Amino acid sequence: MATSQTVLDRLRLERAVWTMDTRLQDLPRRSRINKRRELRDNLRLAAADVGARQAVRQLGDLRILAADYLAAEYGERTRRPSWSAAALTILGVEAVMTLLVHTGRAAFHAGITATNPQATGTYHWTGIPYLISDETFTYVHGTHTSVGGAWTPLVYVIMLGGAVVTGRLWRLHAAWRRQRRQRTLGATEDAAGGGA
Amino acid sequence: MAPTHDPQLLKGVLSLLLLRLLDERESYGYEVVQRLRELGLTDISEGSVYPALARLEREGRVAARLVSSRSGPARKYYRPTAAGAQALAEGTESWLSLAAVVHPVLVRHPSAPPISAEDT
Repeated sequence: MATSQTVLDRLRLERAVWTMDTRLQDLPRRSRINKRRELRDNLRLAAADVGARQAVRQLGDLRILAADYLAAEYGERTRRPSWSAAALTILGVEAVMTLLVHTGRAAFHAGITATNPQATGTYHWTGIPYLISDETFTYVHGTHTSVGGAWTPLVYVIMLGGAVVTGRLWRLHAAWRRQRRQRTLGATEDAAGGGA
Repeated sequence: MAPTHDPQLLKGVLSLLLLRLLDERESYGYEVVQRLRELGLTDISEGSVYPALARLEREGRVAARLVSSRSGPARKYYRPTAAGAQALAEGTESWLSLAAVVHPVLVRHPSAPPISAEDT
């Protein structure tokens, strides 16, 4: 029996779809989008038959469903990369560095203006060794502009290296090889099937 | 009351059932679920069928194509590939062979009391 969908029903379906999506963060983006669209379409059809609440209930535990989708993509025992861990690492390094730069600059500025609130002249901050390059502050009557203070290449190495390590991104190589092998196998079999 | 089925037993043959149904007619996810329910698997959940379809697609046993739909976005239809057809043939043979052994054992009438190991 087809049932009409209210706004609340649609919200219920979208909630299930996006809950699933957040649990599928470790899937490649395109695959995740495809699964999201397919799930939404299937849920709408099910909701038209049995109602939105029951349609979502029939999906079962969304954690199990997401785990099954991940296992379907990467295999049961295949070790897989974690995009979310990689992204968190990048954000974490960025947050720490931003805090360091801000704190360092603020402390330097406070030191200058503490001794002379109307400071005028050029002052040199050596930055933080290995992490933040030196910075030149030019003061005119206590207000300043600055040049420098950039992150060193080491910070980017830490950021990207950390993302690779925490996200276990080297596992992507095995996943790509597996996908390529399956595509080749499929194409060969289709060609053989078409020729038969 | 509708009969319930052991999820573990069902999981073992779900791929085979999906390949068989898709071999008969290409279908989209929810349609496959409906067809399974019409066959008597009334307790099957969408949550077990959709990942199974995704797994078959990853393994190259089914291919998917998007078909535009009047009621919404394009719908994803699945059909078996040559590898899927081969897996279906092998799986069917394996299942029938196993069932030929298991079924008579399970349905036979126990004519004599079981013999314990100590008696032998």
